[in-house]
Parts: sequence; structure tokens; C-alpha cells
Amino acid sequence: MEKKSVVNEAQQIQLAIQLITLGARLQLLESQTTLSRERLIKLYKELKGVSPPKGMLPFSTDWFLTWQPNIHSSMFLNIYNFMREHTDVNGITAVIKAYRLYLDETGTEDPEAAVLSLTRAWTLVRFVESKMLKLQACSCCGGHFVVNVYDLNQHFACSLCHVPSRAGKTKKTREMAAA
Amino acid sequence: MTEKDMMSDIKDANLSYLMLAQQMIRSDKATAIFRLGVSKEIADVLESLTTAQLLKLSSTNMMLARFRFDDCAILNMLTSYTKDRHLASAHAAILMAGQAPEAMA
Repeated sequence: MEKKSVVNEAQQIQLAIQLITLGARLQLLESQTTLSRERLIKLYKELKGVSPPKGMLPFSTDWFLTWQPNIHSSMFLNIYNFMREHTDVNGITAVIKAYRLYLDETGTEDPEAAVLSLTRAWTLVRFVESKMLKLQACSCCGGHFVVNVYDLNQHFACSLCHVPSRAGKTKKTREMAAA
Repeated sequence: MTEKDMMSDIKDANLSYLMLAQQMIRSDKATAIFRLGVSKEIADVLESLTTAQLLKLSSTNMMLARFRFDDCAILNMLTSYTKDRHLASAHAAILMAGQAPEAMA
């Protein structure tokens, strides 16, 4: 059994605080920190003022392939891969740093309003590690985008080079334009 | 603008670039490496430079920071984007994150 260390515990709490303020769900906290479930729930309540949401995490890979989520998740994964390859950070620190950069890139300051939440970003990294999703170079612009491993991607064109005709034209955006 | 003004402007740009880069690297190295697009080795050197060294380095007549797009196809596409500005910046971010820093260093 690991020896109990106050310094180590303080670091773990610091990490948990960072994750919670970025919008992590309880499952992510449980798997990435060594703190007990009770302590994490307490910490969550203290920081957010509400109980952590219950229920399972979203587990479908399809979400990452639809138009807008695909752009955002590709951006995050490119940044994350850059971090892994060219800097010393790895693991959950790389996810946190890449996610912060992603928020800066999209210009959203509130993690709740971002298209890709931290929990989804972490799920994406896990999906890529378990080879369910991968990055594929676009034959038009050369950028790397998230695709399904078992799809046929020989002449892949990304969703920004070939924007689907109805992409982004939702009821919400029309109302926002009118307002 | 005379030749001389241009030279001194270049020196100014060099100095502010180096100072900004050093500040970024010192506060968070991994993030700075991504934002600056330099390799880890160069970031290490920049971090350790003294102010005197920075001044000496910046007082040259050549620009120290180089253009980030080597691929003119990408640059053309990004500047002549006909659609949403947000889409253009998202596309630029994806393409730039995909580039290795050595390619630009």
C-alpha cells in the first residue's frame, strides 16, 4: 500500500480543483485522482454549489463525427498531440493544458459554454488510445481531422473544406441572427 | 520611411518578440511552445537568456521571428476564406497545431 503523504494529497486536491473548475464530471475525477469518492463529492459541492450530475458519461463515438463537434474535437486533438509530441507534459496535465488552449482558440471563457466539454475531450483521448477514432489528413487542406478507424478514408475531405450544405444553419443561429 | 527607420523598427520588433517569448516560456513552458511554435530546445535556450543577451540578440538588422506558414496553399486558403470568420480561425488553429515546430524553427 502506498504511504500516505500530505504533499501528495495536496497536489491531488489541487488537480481535482482544476478539473472541477474546467467542468469535469465525477467519473473523470475518480479515474484521474487518488482521492476517495466522498471527498471528491464534497469538493465538487464546495466549488460548484450543487451536487455532481449523476448517470453515465456519453459513450458514443458518433458525436465526435458530426459537423461542429468534429471541428472542435479535431482542434482539441491536434493541440493535444502537439503537446504530447513536442513538450514534456503528458497524461492528465496534457489534457488540461490542451483544453485550456482549445478554450482560448475558440474564444469561450466559460467551459460550460464550450462545444467540447473537458469530460468529452478526455473521452476523445481515450477513444483514440483504444483505437476507435483516429486522425486522418484531409486530401484538400492537409489538416488532420477526427474520423472513425473503420470508415473508408482514402480520399477524405474534411468538414471545413467540404462544408455540408445545411451545416450550422440551425433554428438557434437563425433566431440569433434575427435578434 | 527611411532605411534607417526600418532597421530600428526591426530591432524594436525583435526585442519585444524576444521579451514576450521569454515571459511566456517562464510562466508556462508547454503552452508557450504551442503558442510560439518553437521547439523545446529553443524554448530552453530562450528561457535562460539574460537581459543583456536579449538586447545583443535583438540588435540585428534581420527579423528574428519567421513567418509561420511555409505552405502558400494554406495561407491562400485562410486569407481568402469566404465563409464565417470563426470557421477560418478554427481551420487555421487545426492546421497550425498539425505543423511540427521544427518545420518553422
